[in-house]
Amino acid sequence: MPRPGAVIEVDRNTPPVLYHFGEGIRLEKLPLGARIIYPPDPLEPIAHPERAIKRALAKPLEDDPLKSLLRRGMKLTIAFDDLSLPLPPMAAPDVRQLVMEEVIDMAAEAGIEDLHIIAALGLHRRMTEDELRHIVGDRIFTTFHPDRLYQHDGEDPENNVYIGKTSAGEDVTLNRRAAESDLVIYVNLTLVPMDGGHKSMSTGLASYRGIRAHHNVKTLLGSRSYMNPPDSALHHSCIRQGQLIEDTVRVFHIETTVNNHAFPAIANFMQKRETDWTAQDQAMFLATKQMTDIAPPAFKRNVFHAMRAPYGLTAVHAGQVDAVHDKTLDAVNRQIAVRVEGQTDIVTIGVPYLGPYNVNAPMNPVLVLCMGAGYLFNFYRNKPVLRKGGVLILTHPTRYEFDAVQHPSYIDFYDEVLSDTKDPAEIESKYELRFAEDPWFRQLYRKSHAYHGAHPFYALYWAAHAMEHAGDIIIVGGDREVVHHLGLKCATTLEDAFEMAEQTVGRYPSVTHLRTPPIMLCEVE
Amino acid sequence: MPWYSEGPLTRLGDLAGAALDDVSRVRKGWHWSSPRPHTWPEQGAVVPPPPSDLGWARVEPVRSIRWLIQRALLLPFTEVMVHPKVEGREWVKQLKRPAIFAANHSSHADTSLILYSLTDAARDRTVVAAAADYWFKHPVLGNVVSLFLNTFPFSRTGGAQGQLHSSSELLKSGWNLVLFPEGSRSPDGRIQEFKPGVGFLARETGAPVVPLHIQGAFQVMPRHQRLPVPYPVRVRIGRPMTPEPKEDTRTFTARVEKAVRTLEAEPRKTELQGTWIERWRASTPRELRYGDAR
Repeated sequence: MPRPGAVIEVDRNTPPVLYHFGEGIRLEKLPLGARIIYPPDPLEPIAHPERAIKRALAKPLEDDPLKSLLRRGMKLTIAFDDLSLPLPPMAAPDVRQLVMEEVIDMAAEAGIEDLHIIAALGLHRRMTEDELRHIVGDRIFTTFHPDRLYQHDGEDPENNVYIGKTSAGEDVTLNRRAAESDLVIYVNLTLVPMDGGHKSMSTGLASYRGIRAHHNVKTLLGSRSYMNPPDSALHHSCIRQGQLIEDTVRVFHIETTVNNHAFPAIANFMQKRETDWTAQDQAMFLATKQMTDIAPPAFKRNVFHAMRAPYGLTAVHAGQVDAVHDKTLDAVNRQIAVRVEGQTDIVTIGVPYLGPYNVNAPMNPVLVLCMGAGYLFNFYRNKPVLRKGGVLILTHPTRYEFDAVQHPSYIDFYDEVLSDTKDPAEIESKYELRFAEDPWFRQLYRKSHAYHGAHPFYALYWAAHAMEHAGDIIIVGGDREVVHHLGLKCATTLEDAFEMAEQTVGRYPSVTHLRTPPIMLCEVE
Repeated sequence: MPWYSEGPLTRLGDLAGAALDDVSRVRKGWHWSSPRPHTWPEQGAVVPPPPSDLGWARVEPVRSIRWLIQRALLLPFTEVMVHPKVEGREWVKQLKRPAIFAANHSSHADTSLILYSLTDAARDRTVVAAAADYWFKHPVLGNVVSLFLNTFPFSRTGGAQGQLHSSSELLKSGWNLVLFPEGSRSPDGRIQEFKPGVGFLARETGAPVVPLHIQGAFQVMPRHQRLPVPYPVRVRIGRPMTPEPKEDTRTFTARVEKAVRTLEAEPRKTELQGTWIERWRASTPRELRYGDAR
């Protein structure tokens, strides 16, 4: 029986706690009385995933069995989530591959010749062939690539159609092939509550015009948090768009969830609570720490990015989007929810090497902000673990380091936009459109492997709520110049950061450390 | 800038100091002898137990040493001596679970040729069944060969059940297995009758059997020849096979033997064309990772 999440109070017997530090790790001793929040242990995976998938397709929720929806001569499109999740990428076979193979078997049996498979990547970068092959598997790749297996292009004027406006005035656009299909089957992998549901179609297969309707400062500041869909303006907007899409095209949703077994055997100690570490875990920690201290960043990056997570499938549901997504969210919450009592003055989080937007690339400074103050801060329900005006402490080396292929617009965003102002609303009104319509960034997004010109803005908007909520954000171990350029404070050690934080929150502050990854969602009472 | 900063010696000193700090922090951080405080969550198996290990040759650092030896010596030597032509390596790439590589056996060079033919990922997870009464008669020789080729003793004379059991344990713990079902090297280069152990292992573990045919190894190093001579070699890898539900061990072994003999003669198939449905049906379904789900 896997243990639920835990909150432990630091006493004299409590071992030091692991902090992720980009492509490195640290062991820190927290002050007595501080709290450490641990995620639940990985749930038992489903023993026979293929069988569970067949069952879900045969008995969908509030929809007809998939087999009865497939008929010869129809136009069928399968869309699936891109490589931004799960993180780290899943060891083969990916659950999306398992699901798609079942669906394709059914389509072949029904004799459907007009079948296309589209990677629903929204404004994310195009995947390389190897990355695409890893998600869909060899068999699908060799059968369908490149003419029938391809990636959505949100800037292709020919292949995106305008669907209409929602009741709240949001534009809705959709990939033309999906819009003109008799049936779209969406294959999703939900790792965190933010993913899935109506957001899959309305973001993954949309153009900039559709996505900007909810990826903006106002909506994201109104999402408390976007990891809890009922309280998220982002999700309300996606639902309105999704309903309009469902009126246009018949969609059959398949959603899967995995457990939080995020690290392979060699990095078991990162998965375990420090109170459970054995001598072997200590030795592995020491070896890894020394390696990451000495090795050059590019080497460390190659080692870390080569890790594949041994996730196990925990649930698969198919059918009508709302019915499916409710069940999916239950399954996700079972895996990641931890009950936490009350807020604290200081919250510390170790920012790991990987976020959704830097698979096989360094985490640039803007993405550090997005990951630490955006995603990791927002893993809460009801209210943040950090009290209003408290201090958020992150650990990350935060170097001036960009991947010119994946993040060209991030470089200009950092150098030009952040030099001018750090205010998200001002940045949005002054710069976003110019970057989004820049022909060079558009070209790189469409033909290379670059994120869209507007993407760095979204990365900043993700963090807008934390920047508004926190009194200070301190990055421990970061490059001082870079951290200041982001508008944050920099500290050399965690002890220094606590000293600095006391200037903001007063003496003897309460401290909470979120020991993540693996991912967790704090239900704050 | 002060004279003592950023110098290599200072940096080295810093690193050593940091390493000592880490060791000291770890040493002092955990109090093994004191009772576990009641405020801590109960202890649990957060991660699954590691797969069972059956020998020193399959654990670190020996694996890394072998990795070096193979890449620095064995593979370049094989390449230079015989320029092996490998066909069908895509079948190995498609393997999603441990497999048994069953090949004809006419030479001591066969093992190196098979390892050469595998993908890097498969090679690093492959053990080779070596005759216990030949290779492991002298412990030093057996250990050296294990270090180079990751062999394990496989009895040809008695206690076969026990040996097959240890082989199946290796397969179950994630290792590919190289087997020569003929049992010993061919005296004249022609394929001999296959022994049923390969079928038994496939049935017991559900592991796919990959048939391989090696042509030319007999000319490189036949029986009673101590040193290899250059000769062109071709290694042909066939489609993985699994026993049918009602197929007995001997019938399956015969099928594997037939597959190896077919590889000896068969020309390569050209890539299939046609509609996606035809291509899909002609392609190999993924081996089920978790048993039969049908």
